[in-house]
Amino acid sequence: MPSPRTAALAPIELVDSDGRTVRLGALWQSGPAVLVFLRHYG
Amino acid sequence: MFCRQHVAQLRAHEATFRAAGALLAAVGLGDRRYAQAFRGESGVGFPLLVDERREAYRAAGLGTASPLDVARPSILAAGFRALRAGHRPHRIGEHPMQLGGSFVFGTGGTELFAQVSRDFADNASPAALLAALRA
Repeated sequence: MPSPRTAALAPIELVDSDGRTVRLGALWQSGPAVLVFLRHYG
Repeated sequence: MFCRQHVAQLRAHEATFRAAGALLAAVGLGDRRYAQAFRGESGVGFPLLVDERREAYRAAGLGTASPLDVARPSILAAGFRALRAGHRPHRIGEHPMQLGGSFVFGTGGTELFAQVSRDFADNASPAALLAALRA
């Protein structure tokens, strides 16, 4: 069952470094995912 | 430099996460140009996602630090350790006080592990993330 956090994150779409759009919910749709929030790419 | 240190740790365990059946991805601030440069410099193989509007940071419940936190002895000590390990600070983006976090989600979105960073150096270890995957 999705947690409140994954429910909030799932519909958000971000682009990756190659310009592809990724819906966050797709990351854990068919398997576990480790999602790490860095502060910045610097 | 804490980000680079954290990414270096994750990169070293990238194959182990994959062997555990997990997809590893990172979210960062800045724009795609920053992420591309970061990928080239860090050599990571996992996806680097860009959240320019901090939408995912807010949805994940991540906070921001106070400017005073930068001078805390524990942060200065952690910064010194990171520098000594060869991790140099590079570009600082628009939101330097944004804090990070680490999560492990099971198939379908169950939350197996959550660490919301309390300060700049408070990052989950790969061992903790892998333990959550294997539990």
